[in-house]
Amino acid sequence: MAGLQYTLNRILLMIPTFLLVMIIIFLLVRLLPGDPAIAIAGDKASDADIAAIRERLGLNAPLWTQFWLFLTNTLQGDLGRSILLRAPVTEVILARLPTTIFLTLYAVTLSILIAGPLAFVAALNRGKWQDNLIRAVFQVGLSMPVFYIGLLLLTFLAAQLRLFPVGGYGETFLDRAYHLFLPAVTVALYTSAILMRNLRSAIIEVLDAEYVQFARAKGLPPRLILGRHVLKNALVSTVTLLGLSIGQLMSGTLVTETVFAVPGVGRMMLEAIFARDYPLIQGLTLTFAVLVSLVFLMTDIFQSWLDPRMRLS
Amino acid sequence: MKAAALALALATSTALGASTIGFADAQERGGTLNFARYDGSKLVDPIYADRNPDIWMVGSLFSTLLSPTEDGTDLVGSLAESFEVSSDGKTVSLVLRDGLKFSDGSPLTGDDVVFSLERARNPDLGPWSGLLSAVSSVSADGRNITISLERPDPALLSMLATFNTAIVSKKAFDAAPGANDQEKSAAIFAAGGPGVGSGPFYLSGFEQGSSMTFTANPHYWKEGKDGKPLPYLEKVHFEIIPDDATRVLKLTAGEVDIAEFIPFSRVAELDADPAVDMNLFPSTRIIYSPINTRETRADGTPNPLHDKRVRQALNYATNKEALIGLVLQGAGKPMSSPVMSSSTRLAADMNPLYGYDIEKAKALVAEAGLKAGTEVTLTTLAGSADDATIFAALQQMWAPLGINLVAEQVDNATRGAKNRSGEFDIHTYGWVDDVNDPSQVTGWLGYFPTAKAVGTGWNNADFNTLYEASSSEMDPEKRADQYRKMQDIYAEAAPLLFMYETPFAVAVSGKVDGYLQTPLGNNVFENVSLER
Repeated sequence: MAGLQYTLNRILLMIPTFLLVMIIIFLLVRLLPGDPAIAIAGDKASDADIAAIRERLGLNAPLWTQFWLFLTNTLQGDLGRSILLRAPVTEVILARLPTTIFLTLYAVTLSILIAGPLAFVAALNRGKWQDNLIRAVFQVGLSMPVFYIGLLLLTFLAAQLRLFPVGGYGETFLDRAYHLFLPAVTVALYTSAILMRNLRSAIIEVLDAEYVQFARAKGLPPRLILGRHVLKNALVSTVTLLGLSIGQLMSGTLVTETVFAVPGVGRMMLEAIFARDYPLIQGLTLTFAVLVSLVFLMTDIFQSWLDPRMRLS
Repeated sequence: MKAAALALALATSTALGASTIGFADAQERGGTLNFARYDGSKLVDPIYADRNPDIWMVGSLFSTLLSPTEDGTDLVGSLAESFEVSSDGKTVSLVLRDGLKFSDGSPLTGDDVVFSLERARNPDLGPWSGLLSAVSSVSADGRNITISLERPDPALLSMLATFNTAIVSKKAFDAAPGANDQEKSAAIFAAGGPGVGSGPFYLSGFEQGSSMTFTANPHYWKEGKDGKPLPYLEKVHFEIIPDDATRVLKLTAGEVDIAEFIPFSRVAELDADPAVDMNLFPSTRIIYSPINTRETRADGTPNPLHDKRVRQALNYATNKEALIGLVLQGAGKPMSSPVMSSSTRLAADMNPLYGYDIEKAKALVAEAGLKAGTEVTLTTLAGSADDATIFAALQQMWAPLGINLVAEQVDNATRGAKNRSGEFDIHTYGWVDDVNDPSQVTGWLGYFPTAKAVGTGWNNADFNTLYEASSSEMDPEKRADQYRKMQDIYAEAAPLLFMYETPFAVAVSGKVDGYLQTPLGNNVFENVSLER
């Protein structure tokens, strides 16, 4: 019952969050220097053309009127029409969102698969060469920019060894997994480095805890100690970090999707900002906000399952 | 009546479609050409195409009545087999070829031409209607088309060879869903398939921001070297790859056959690759920097660049050859005509246009009384390596004049807004002609009412009068003289930092033959064949 109440409270908290996000993004977009009318008409348009486009887009209306229209339409599920793509914002976002979600989940999965086992190996061999090697390799991953790692992988694994395609997005599930492997690995290398360091520290901390020593003293088999006592407790802080990382991963797709020519919403956001496509920027930001909030919600729920004390607090 | 004003051209189909038995056996047909683009099309419709990635694709899907010759200096018939301008310059008569068809096999008639041109000149629709502002009516009688003008327009024939006057199917628009022309156009583009155009291809696949596919139009009117209808290719598949490095990798990995907009820093490397044909197609692209000529800056302080001697000095102190070496790795040439590229019709050859002369530059700033340490801001594109190099070079080149050049980095939209509002000293900019006539670029760069002479605020009554007169001057010699005078005035006033012309750098796989990017930027695939 406490768990359900906790979840409901968390969902209710999301409403003011979204409202705040809408206000902030509406104002921020309009504070950007630059005029969407110029972006649409192009540099070559006459002053008269620019004025006509501003009028047609309703950009001459008072800010409050524009916001009210944005708010009421959004609540009805209408995010407006993209100025750049000349199509409903909801439609164009939904067309490209699955790609970004696929890429993000792929990268998260790879991050966990890389970070999890290595964190255990490093923690259980604390101070030994295995620990030092793993930490050194990940340090390199952390200190290199994502786009640079991407280009290196593309050059060697795709262009030279021809093991993977240079860019693009496949048709079937397996084809997509193959096409998106390099972008997912690129992102995962960075995220897994953060996760691995955190999980390693947490495992080391838990391994020294009295309840683990007690479990050892009871004669429980090491696998049971690691699975039931160490992992579950070490995961609490790592799950929080993972939740935060997913939010970061989504914003990171902006670079990854451009380098790897992946047609997702990250790249679309970049195009929308350059074109001052107000409706599309607003729609995308709101979409990101919803997705990140959902991830945080799931993180909190998962954490409360790992650590029931959270529900009471 | 001036003989030169009477343009009578016979169809060049015989020449273009000349078939020889020798070619018939050698000509490869079929296959899919994979093309890596820097940006994707959003809507390829003659009247709504307003970005280069759209404009440059119109010709592949739609045919125009006329087309420019390969060197761009003249016009020949395209859908029209002949054309004629009346002696008073107020009527243009054209005769369509016999048996023209759209890509679905339906006939292309005079009604389609009337519909398309009425659409193109409707100011409530696309942004290009002004190019046909002289037209008062369009009518058709069978294959005979008559365009009546309110006033003579020397650029009209060029406009009939321009993307916005390409012919669309009236039947396709009548049948398309949508409450208005914009919605119908979007619906037709979204649905794809044959029927709306009569170009060498039709749109057969489109994924926003990702890919686009063209399929050969079996009813295209033009013939290839083998005597069969063009195009040779079966399909063209475009992938959108915004990152320069990834585009090049795609080509070298053999995943695409052509990669466009190759960074100039990679040209030499690709040129040395035996599997790649590195093309530098001549273009009308000019890179220049508008100079704010207003008496005061936007903040109300005196503007040192208002004095034309200072602007002239900046031009003399800029070593264009050095800039070309630094930015383009030598793949370019200094601007030699002040209001347009040297390949634009009626361009005056003023080479060297403000050739490097630092002593003259110093004398000019001394004469103008420019104070040492005067701060001038160069607004550049954030993230542009080219702009960063230009800034670093100009900062050093202008230091001997006592100018302290500082950089302001902005994105493209902000730069455009600053240009319109006059909130800049100097900023980088570029231009590619859309029309095979000098009126568009001259209007943009110099004619004040269009856009304040590319935002510089330069307003010269003589120039404006000459421009207006040239807009209805049908005597080619007189018009050429007007353009010569405009270019003299412009060069002397120097409202721009005249920089350089750049080619279109396109890397093509060795197995591709016949690809062309025109000086206006149009991608031409109709003569492309793939070695298989």
